[in-house]
Amino acid sequence: MAWDKETELRLRQVIKDSGVALLAENLVQGTWGNTAARLDEDHMLVTPTGLDYIALTPEDMPVVQISDPSVWNDGKKPTSERKIHAAIMQARPEINATIHSHPIFCSILASARIELPVMNDEMQRLVGGACRVGAYGLPGTKKLKKGTVEAMQGRNACFMANHGVFCAGKDMDEAFEIIRIMEKSSYQYIQECTLKATGSQTYSDELLFDYFVADKTAKKKKA
Amino acid sequence: MDKIVQTILDYAAKLVAEGVVGESDMLSMRSEINFMYITKAGVKLADLTENDIFKTTIFKVDEEYKVHAEIYKEREDINAICQCYPKWVTPVAKAGVTIPAVLDDMAQIVGPTCKTSADDVASIIKTLKGRNSCLVKDKGCITSGRTMDEAYTCVLVLDKASHCFVASSVIGANKVINGLEARLMRFIYKTKYSKKNQENLSAKEEGEQIKEETSVKEEGEV
Repeated sequence: MAWDKETELRLRQVIKDSGVALLAENLVQGTWGNTAARLDEDHMLVTPTGLDYIALTPEDMPVVQISDPSVWNDGKKPTSERKIHAAIMQARPEINATIHSHPIFCSILASARIELPVMNDEMQRLVGGACRVGAYGLPGTKKLKKGTVEAMQGRNACFMANHGVFCAGKDMDEAFEIIRIMEKSSYQYIQECTLKATGSQTYSDELLFDYFVADKTAKKKKA
Repeated sequence: MDKIVQTILDYAAKLVAEGVVGESDMLSMRSEINFMYITKAGVKLADLTENDIFKTTIFKVDEEYKVHAEIYKEREDINAICQCYPKWVTPVAKAGVTIPAVLDDMAQIVGPTCKTSADDVASIIKTLKGRNSCLVKDKGCITSGRTMDEAYTCVLVLDKASHCFVASSVIGANKVINGLEARLMRFIYKTKYSKKNQENLSAKEEGEQIKEETSVKEEGEV
């Protein structure tokens, strides 16, 4: 172990707080996301698999080996997504904190497999350019891990096709800034695309509803 | 208060907090093989109290409770039903189309697709064959499960999948998961869940305290 106890205790609290913040900021929807914080070059703390973030304690967070994520100790059973967190930490020494989650607007673009262009200065600064979509792979597979690592090259975020978003920062605060700007920029882009598709001037959810229903009904009649 | 009544109240509150209810939502749970507890028709889940939940046989019920009773009669594997009107499910139900596998968690928790049924009991039963969830034309959705937590999670995932389907369709880029991979994910999820459920049943027999919600969430993580 190349870290001191004080650092570990601090990062355990960081992971605990990150889960609570994902919930509080509505950045987790449907199913749980997961986060990781680097302890040293070969170890990271991650969230346990599928447990309630509110009920989790800092001591519940397991320590996972980055070079071989099947090895872990302390805490509870780690998230099944730990291989992706480990792969990013291994490929990117400057990254110390990662977040994988399924916020709604990122999930929409992930399901559409659309690259998100740079929408604002903040996105350029934090993400480092347009946000790519990693190749689709079943959860837990090498294909998904490889696709995510490739899509993250030179970027601090990517979409995981039909799944969610992955964000990486120099610390957890920055990783949160990234997921926030990703969700905000995704929403902005969806609004722009909707206005373009519908020819309307003002966005509303009802605009999406009406266009969707009219389009599907017309297609059914045609068929 | 009966444990089932408390569970229904708890999950009604969760659905309200998640904002996935409409005006006419109803929840029910099987109590014994031929009985169910169900929320009174016309009572908003946000206003639900224990006095709005009653126990009834599944063999003789008023028309508004019939779909729940018939599902319990036909499907011994189902112990809980959510009949809800989530915001994003509504336009898909109105269009009367099938939601394809737009997200991994949908393929796993809801199924590779979610069809829209005509709004009559026979059609709903038919559409639910081999499935746990369906949309109801011009209405909302019906989700079910072995536990209320399973049915509840289905509502959340279905609403998110519907939102993705509607928005990605409008922006013209709906890319769905390959059917084989979607079915494989569903199979693995169900197998893992059944195993976990079996473990829970064994543990219960030994008198241990089991929190079924925790086990469902663990399998629900994707």
